Amino acid sequence: AKWDDPPNTNVALADAGIPGSLPRLNPECVGIAARAILGLNGKVQKQSSFDRKHYFYSDQPLGFQITQQRSPIGRGGKVSLGHNEGLDYTKDIRIHQLQLEQDTAKSVHDVYPGYVLTDLNRAGVALLEIVSEPDIETPEEAALYVRKMQTLLRHIRVSHCNMEEGSMRCDVNVSVYRNSDHRLSGTRCELKNLNSLKVIRGAVSAEIRRQIETIESGNPVEQETRGFDARQGKTFVIRSKEDAPDYRYMPEPDIPEIHLTDEWIEAARLALPELPEVALARIQEQYGLSKETVETILAEPGCVDLFEDTARGRNAKTVASWITSEVFGQLSYRAQRLQDSTLTSGQLSGLIDALETKSVTSAQAKKLLIAYMNGETQS
Amino acid sequence: MDEFGMGSKNEFSIYGATRNPCEQTPEVGGSKERHQPHRHSPGGSSGGSAAAVASGMCRIALGSDTGGSVRLPAAWCGVVGFKPTYGRVSRHGLVAYGSSLDAIGVMARSVGDVRAAFHAMSVPDPRDMTCMSSKLRRRIESFTGSREWTKHVDWENGATKASKPLDGVRIGIPKEFWVDELSLSALESWKSGAQRLADLGCEIVQVSLPHIPSSLPAYYTLAFAESSSNLARYDGIRYGTRSNQLPAKSNGSNASYKYANTRSEGLGSEVQRRILLGTYVMTASASEQYHVLAQKIRRLIQKDFDSVFALPNVLALDGADPPGPAVADRPKGVDALLFPTATDTAPLLGTLAQNPVTGYVNDIMTVPANLAGIPAVSVPVDIDSTGMPVGLQLAAQFGDDDLLLSIAAHLQSQFV
Repeated sequence: AKWDDPPNTNVALADAGIPGSLPRLNPECVGIAARAILGLNGKVQKQSSFDRKHYFYSDQPLGFQITQQRSPIGRGGKVSLGHNEGLDYTKDIRIHQLQLEQDTAKSVHDVYPGYVLTDLNRAGVALLEIVSEPDIETPEEAALYVRKMQTLLRHIRVSHCNMEEGSMRCDVNVSVYRNSDHRLSGTRCELKNLNSLKVIRGAVSAEIRRQIETIESGNPVEQETRGFDARQGKTFVIRSKEDAPDYRYMPEPDIPEIHLTDEWIEAARLALPELPEVALARIQEQYGLSKETVETILAEPGCVDLFEDTARGRNAKTVASWITSEVFGQLSYRAQRLQDSTLTSGQLSGLIDALETKSVTSAQAKKLLIAYMNGETQS
Repeated sequence: MDEFGMGSKNEFSIYGATRNPCEQTPEVGGSKERHQPHRHSPGGSSGGSAAAVASGMCRIALGSDTGGSVRLPAAWCGVVGFKPTYGRVSRHGLVAYGSSLDAIGVMARSVGDVRAAFHAMSVPDPRDMTCMSSKLRRRIESFTGSREWTKHVDWENGATKASKPLDGVRIGIPKEFWVDELSLSALESWKSGAQRLADLGCEIVQVSLPHIPSSLPAYYTLAFAESSSNLARYDGIRYGTRSNQLPAKSNGSNASYKYANTRSEGLGSEVQRRILLGTYVMTASASEQYHVLAQKIRRLIQKDFDSVFALPNVLALDGADPPGPAVADRPKGVDALLFPTATDTAPLLGTLAQNPVTGYVNDIMTVPANLAGIPAVSVPVDIDSTGMPVGLQLAAQFGDDDLLLSIAAHLQSQFV
């Protein structure tokens, strides 16, 4: 099943709310959630459970969402921002909690006028919602936090974190305060449907401006859910507080509590790949590469393994150079991810050895690389 | 069946009420009178199943028992109605009403047939996460199987080798079920049932379940809350009937208006009543006072049952070992409880009082078993002075279905 499959072709009985159907928790999702929590330095909760959050909407076929909001699987953790992210100060953005919940269906509003079309493909699919503490203080910090989260979660194979495809989505809560008041004294507005880092920056900036203008003109900021119009550079109301539903939370009776043991959590921790920051420092040190080069390698999932396997017993700089210019160039040309490529470290090693011993020219080596990446296996 | 399983008299169906086959229909002028307004209810909500079994249309019928919907009609139609332990039988395929209360039950004219059907259905099902796994079933087995004092209680009661086949079994009479509403026929059959069990060798003791008086309001609060949730999906969009009327308001952000006409037209009045009440008790302002409180009462009722049964509740044990055979003296506690299934025999249809809530009182004897998830069975024991059947109810500890059915079989044999 893919994210862009035709509408209503990946629908389970329970996702459509067929009478008599029952939800099931996918144990793989619990494992993925644990990886994410541990990768973010959070604490995996040994006991967590699900609730139903009720509201009627065209993208909510059962009239409720199954969520762990009140009893989540992960608490705590942080994302550190600093020089690596281009800031001239360091700061930790703390994480409040990480929870599993169901995705909604997709509502399409502008195809048939007057009608809302519903695609149930993604309804019921598990989401991991990561809620930060209110530590973010600028639009730039918001974007950097999201980007660092993407890098990390991709690296530990939690998600593709692709905002265009919808494998990562962001909602941002914004409030402002006068210096003389408490940090959290302002009324929060939630900004939804922000689908790129640029939009996040723009939306947060626009909302800060709007709230300050509102207050300075003597009016209170109303608690609202708002969207961002990128063309106008302004936020707009989606839902005001009066329309906000009473969710009538109820424990989910069809899914028992999740109980995890210390052993299980420890096993998950041991199975975590080396975290990016640790790898960044180590690889620079171990192979004498520049920070930029190592960052480029780290940014592509699977690349560290390819690099280290190939660099064993070879010139690290040569290997790094071939990967970051030639291999990445080919990937870009094919719009392909390294993880989906047929190129092996064995092939790359052989190619670089052949170059060293001058048994092939540079041009021939490049042709060889293309052949390998086309799926040919002849040496 | 009452619509969506909501009703105790089989009156709430768009197909019309079901009649109780046990009633004596007088013949007038050589032919049975038609369109008689005063007929007996078969009970509900699974009244159709009970009527089918009682009239001989079939041997076994299924029903769903959320608050007594299998046991009550069984009692009023004079057949056996069994509600297994919650989680024994998969709920996949059962249209959900109260998910934490629903159990699929069996009706037949004999306990033997009920038992056979039950064993065929009582298997693990990965499609239902609340259905007992093989591991849990084996664990329960290790508890029930290691009980010395019930090992001799067997299923074949026919040519009893023992003159007292239930020797050593202790039956509890919960005093809180002795309510004002109990009719004479219910009281008499309760006494007579206890006497027959004593004749079979049982020790009869009185027990107390102090929170039983709160079980009815707790049950209805929780059942209505869960039903408002489980019925939220009936909006006419993906299946089912859809209203032709356009929504009153076309405010895009408020989807409720799109569904309101369909739900108002497509759901019966009793169903709507329960959904609205269930929605109310879960609202932010009412939740603590009603819904949360009901859940706490439910936990207390479960503990009441745990305190009177000899067999521990495997759910409360967390990995402890089953009692070993070294236990010489049987522990304190009873093996089953005996009490009426209903306060009276089948009422007439159409006697629904002005206030529909008074009809809920019928469930007072049956809801506690659903709240605690314990198995309970109604056995036909008697006929009252108007010729309508009386049922007596047995309940046992969580998971103790087989012992319960054995005792029920012996009890039924005394009244045949």
